[in-house]
Amino acid sequence: MAQPLLQATAVAKAFGPVVALRAVDLSVAPGEVHALLGANGAGKSTLVKILTGVLRNDAGTVAVNGAEVELNSPTEARDKGLAPVYQDPAMIRDLTVEQNLRLTGADPARVRHELAGMDLDGLDLDEQVRDIPLPFLRMLDLARALAFDPQLLVLDEITAALPPDLSERVFAIMTRWKRRNRSVLFISHRLAEVREHCDMCTVLRDGRDVASFHPGREGGESQIVAAMLAEAGAQVRDVARERAARAEAEGERTPRLVVRDLLIDRQDAGVSFEVAAGEVLGLAALEGQGQDRLFEILSGNVRAAGGEILVDGRPLRARHPYDAIRRGVVLVPANRLLALLPQRPIRENIAIPLFNRIGRWGPINVGRERRQVRDAVERLSIDTRAAAQARRLSGGNQQKLTIGRWLAAGFRTLLLFDPTRGIDVGTKHQIYDLVRELADGGAAILMFTSELREIGLVCDRAAVLHNGAIVAEMPPTASESDLLTAAHGLEVTAV
Amino acid sequence: MSSTPRAVAATPLPRPSGRATRFRRRQGWVVGVALLLGVLIFWRYSQIPAFGPFEIRGIVAGTMTLALLAMAQSVIVISGGIDLSVGAMMVLANCIAARLMLEQDLGPVVLIALAVVAVAMVLSGLIGTIAVVSGVPDIVVTLAASFVLSGLALIVLDSPGGGTNPRFQQLLVGGFDEPLPATLWLAALLLLIWLPFKRSRLGIATYAVGSDRAAAFLSGVRVGRTRVIAYVLAGFFSGMAGIVTTAFTGSGEPRASIGATATLTSVAAVVLGGVALLGGSGTLLGPVLAAFCLSLIPALMLGLGWDPNYAEVARGIIIIVVVMIGGLVQIPRRSR
Repeated sequence: MAQPLLQATAVAKAFGPVVALRAVDLSVAPGEVHALLGANGAGKSTLVKILTGVLRNDAGTVAVNGAEVELNSPTEARDKGLAPVYQDPAMIRDLTVEQNLRLTGADPARVRHELAGMDLDGLDLDEQVRDIPLPFLRMLDLARALAFDPQLLVLDEITAALPPDLSERVFAIMTRWKRRNRSVLFISHRLAEVREHCDMCTVLRDGRDVASFHPGREGGESQIVAAMLAEAGAQVRDVARERAARAEAEGERTPRLVVRDLLIDRQDAGVSFEVAAGEVLGLAALEGQGQDRLFEILSGNVRAAGGEILVDGRPLRARHPYDAIRRGVVLVPANRLLALLPQRPIRENIAIPLFNRIGRWGPINVGRERRQVRDAVERLSIDTRAAAQARRLSGGNQQKLTIGRWLAAGFRTLLLFDPTRGIDVGTKHQIYDLVRELADGGAAILMFTSELREIGLVCDRAAVLHNGAIVAEMPPTASESDLLTAAHGLEVTAV
Repeated sequence: MSSTPRAVAATPLPRPSGRATRFRRRQGWVVGVALLLGVLIFWRYSQIPAFGPFEIRGIVAGTMTLALLAMAQSVIVISGGIDLSVGAMMVLANCIAARLMLEQDLGPVVLIALAVVAVAMVLSGLIGTIAVVSGVPDIVVTLAASFVLSGLALIVLDSPGGGTNPRFQQLLVGGFDEPLPATLWLAALLLLIWLPFKRSRLGIATYAVGSDRAAAFLSGVRVGRTRVIAYVLAGFFSGMAGIVTTAFTGSGEPRASIGATATLTSVAAVVLGGVALLGGSGTLLGPVLAAFCLSLIPALMLGLGWDPNYAEVARGIIIIVVVMIGGLVQIPRRSR
């Protein structure tokens, strides 16, 4: 076999205690369009950042054309022939496009030439970046990368925000690059694109490469999905089946939170779903399908472009999280330190939302506050040894605290955004138990999760969000591969 | 290339913004401050019976120090930081210069001036390096540095004194009815130092670092080095401010309160001059014009026969009102 253009061997990277890459091998041949696949958090973006000099790997080697290279900065990576287009365009909003090009040392004439090749020569390079819509920024970023004439073009989810016609132009570039015997590393959640345009694919799971094969061959899609998921699902399904049966027995429940045609962005179709009291609705979605925004809207942080939210049958028009909280709708965001007061003690962290209830004016009733806080801490079994400052708590205890503070304040509808992100397995299960306990106590819970197995472990029902719309509703017994297939916007064939 | 293989709806290209919009966004604030300055100058002109070269020279030479400090502050703010030591740096440069220049000929005095500016650049670069390497926020490092520099100034010159060469004064700030030298010096610094810098890759990198450090890094900008260079350039301007003070007053004045007040006024000039405190936007011309506005206001109030204390209140109110109006005008641009 010919010498690979890019050969990464046993690349590893950890961020503190969180291991992003354990040991990844990746080999890209010249003239190959190579897809890098994996579920959320599998380590794709970390690998891309290592290959393009943004992050340093803790272990392992990267070789270009057989020679081992050190990639200490984006400039060095570019000099070695590796040019990236990142998920978020690396352009500075306050500068003009032309200034951005000069910053990286790209030749404006060549960029214009590349733009003309993509039929985009109408773009004005003297425009400020902030005035250019995102899809065109990506195309400009692509043109800038091409102007360096890289041996390996790295495209990190470039098609995610592109309309079909611009995506086609990207594919045309990929084909052209292949013909010139150069290579493309292509990351996309759209399996159809991968099947059609890629010669090889490498699937990552939990920071390892688990499979490498030709995605276009027969059954390639199911092979990808199988490789992306861990096998063990049987036990999960037992738990889920039990819960489904119990829900069946209870019959119809009254809806607590009803969302009708909610426009997350400016798209045509809205999001509609219901969550009943005592129910956990799991929301499954790939990254960037609008889940962040949906939660922000529901929690009163952002206003929706259209549609309706009903809480207990009455419309909720929140202008501020305060309004939503008063109606009992509370959010536990993914970024725990954002929700907490990191430098204040546990007691104050729990008591903050309480202030809404314990007397709005005048001094705070300290005795009552202390009692309610103590109840919450006990119920959650928060380890209080580091009670003086919330930021010193472990991730799991911080997460309990963010839930716990609402517990003390009293709530009826809980919005959980990826509550177990970056938490160890033991604490994860404590949180699952807590979520179930809260639901059984009558709370309505909407939980987005990036770990599909949690749908089976915790939820009563699953809704799949794709491109700002609910594309499927499934029972918790649905297999992970069905969920993943639906999350990719594909039809689920066998239910 | 023009025909895509499949029939898909073509996404329309974004419409380029018009020339007027572009001008308003990029130069609007400077034009606004220039208009404000025009109004203030006209007002002053109508207050004084004989408004001539003498008055103009008084305004320009008297404002030069603040204008230079505003330039120093702007460079740092554009690069995404803030420098609370520019005033102290100016005082230190003033004291060193006044002590060394006393009873010297023009030749040595010019050399001393250059050396003092060089020292200011090195010190400021050092401050910047500390901020970059330690990762301590600029505001903390420069505040601490301002105490160190104020102390050094007192060590150099323990009481007001020192002096300089009269011909050097003439050269830098002009005689009592010569407004040209001071004006030309300011214009030369803007045109010969700032403009080439702004247009260079380094200048663009400075804006980039102030606008979005992560994106600048991804674009291959060496963020730390760029920030240090911004501090060196700021040191140049605050060192110049110290030299100009020496030439204007003919002596050295080590009082720390002068530096502290000057620093705060420089921040006011930056804000009034349309440099966003968040970094990444603005230019040096705006703050220079704003510096003139800020130093005209007390004179105007004095002309009206107001108590000088009220003049300070008026100055504060004007800053708030102008920045508020500017903010309202710019809101459409900020919303995404």
